[in-house]
Amino acid sequence: MEKDNIALYPGCSLETSSSHYMKSLKTVFSVLGIPFRIMNDWNCCGATSVKSIDYDLNLQLNHKNLALAEEQGIKELVVPCASCYHRLADAEYMLSKDEKRRTELNGKNDFPYKGQVKVRNILDFFVNVVGLDIISKNVKKPLSGLTVACYYGCLNTRVPLEQSFDTREYPMTMDMIVKALGANFIDWSYKTDCCGASLFITVNSIAEKLVGKILKDASLRGVDCVIVSCPMCQTNLDTKQKSIRSKNSIEQPLPVPFITQLMGLAFGCKPKDLGLNKNFVPVESILSSCSVVKNEDE
Amino acid sequence: MGITELEKRKILYKDTLLCYQCAKCSSGCPLVEEMDMYPHVVIHLASLGLERSVMNSETIWICASCYACAVKCPNDIEIPNIMNRLKQMALDEGFEPKRKDVYKFHKVFTDDILRRGKVHELRIMIEYNLRLGKLLKNATLAPKMLFKNKLHFIPPKAVKGFRKWVKKTS
Repeated sequence: MEKDNIALYPGCSLETSSSHYMKSLKTVFSVLGIPFRIMNDWNCCGATSVKSIDYDLNLQLNHKNLALAEEQGIKELVVPCASCYHRLADAEYMLSKDEKRRTELNGKNDFPYKGQVKVRNILDFFVNVVGLDIISKNVKKPLSGLTVACYYGCLNTRVPLEQSFDTREYPMTMDMIVKALGANFIDWSYKTDCCGASLFITVNSIAEKLVGKILKDASLRGVDCVIVSCPMCQTNLDTKQKSIRSKNSIEQPLPVPFITQLMGLAFGCKPKDLGLNKNFVPVESILSSCSVVKNEDE
Repeated sequence: MGITELEKRKILYKDTLLCYQCAKCSSGCPLVEEMDMYPHVVIHLASLGLERSVMNSETIWICASCYACAVKCPNDIEIPNIMNRLKQMALDEGFEPKRKDVYKFHKVFTDDILRRGKVHELRIMIEYNLRLGKLLKNATLAPKMLFKNKLHFIPPKAVKGFRKWVKKTS
């Protein structure tokens, strides 16, 4: 792993609504000995909204990001947000296929984009760049006894086939990380089902129905929590969980920590360094399911 | 219709022509029960050059771009991209978006990015309600998020040189 070439593209939500994702990433990176470098002057990826009504603008926004990353000497652009990852990986793919379009956009930009930046999903980064052995080596409080459902959502894995780092319909990278932390994962047919994304704001009845199905199934399978790596999924599954649970007669609250928060807990980091206070459904409770941690407390 | 419009249509026909109507997209779509036209019907009509009948559908706006269909499609048709192209053609041709609640969110979001290069989530939520004329929409969500300091009153710092870039590229 060449550490000098790695930088993070955080995306808008990690600066505000998902600042706990950012905080836990920073903490986990420091434990793993990865420099926490954020790309300079990045702009919004446009998310699903821009590409829905203006595909060209979406490509321009991401061309600008990729060109800028290249100018800053970044080879590995690590993207924690699934939506940002999907847009950047799509731009990387489209611009590699369409030489004409790339040249045209290069002409409009301050910097050209030559196609030297690799867009990495955070899960891909942890498993294939950092390595599961390094992750398990840093575990101080194994999460044994904890059973989790890994929820990938849509955009983490549904990139063009040539870009994909995991099986698109039944991914396993997050499950492998969870296993390295000592926890159990379940076989789960809902792991890539849609949470409704921005329908959570625009047509909440639809999004709440989708979230309800996901939480109901997870709870019936008796998991202690649902793990995510997407800010939008985290918001949708966590924020209004109380009312969604009562509508779907789900008794137990289901904490929805980010994968980095779970890693931090296994690495023995302090809850405040993982932003656990920002989760609506309290996360600390899952620790009581871990046999090892419980023994230490006693 | 200008040459670019014609080009757009050619791309649309070319991409949809591979479809042999297996309907895997419709059977795997998590939002199909909310739609007024099945996704495989959208693709079929578009491939026949009848895209105007699709532009008036709710389906193109309800699609959440989750790509479940694209992953399942045996012919690798990127269905969400086609849905997006149809949305854009509908707007270009002056169709009233059938789901204004969805369209207006996309519009508010896009306009906000163009202001400073980053999204100001609180402003988007307020402006969305104003443009929709539904002041109490998500009335419980925003206060909850404000309470946890997940929405900020102060907008993010503008991206260096972003406004200049917008002027240059548009």
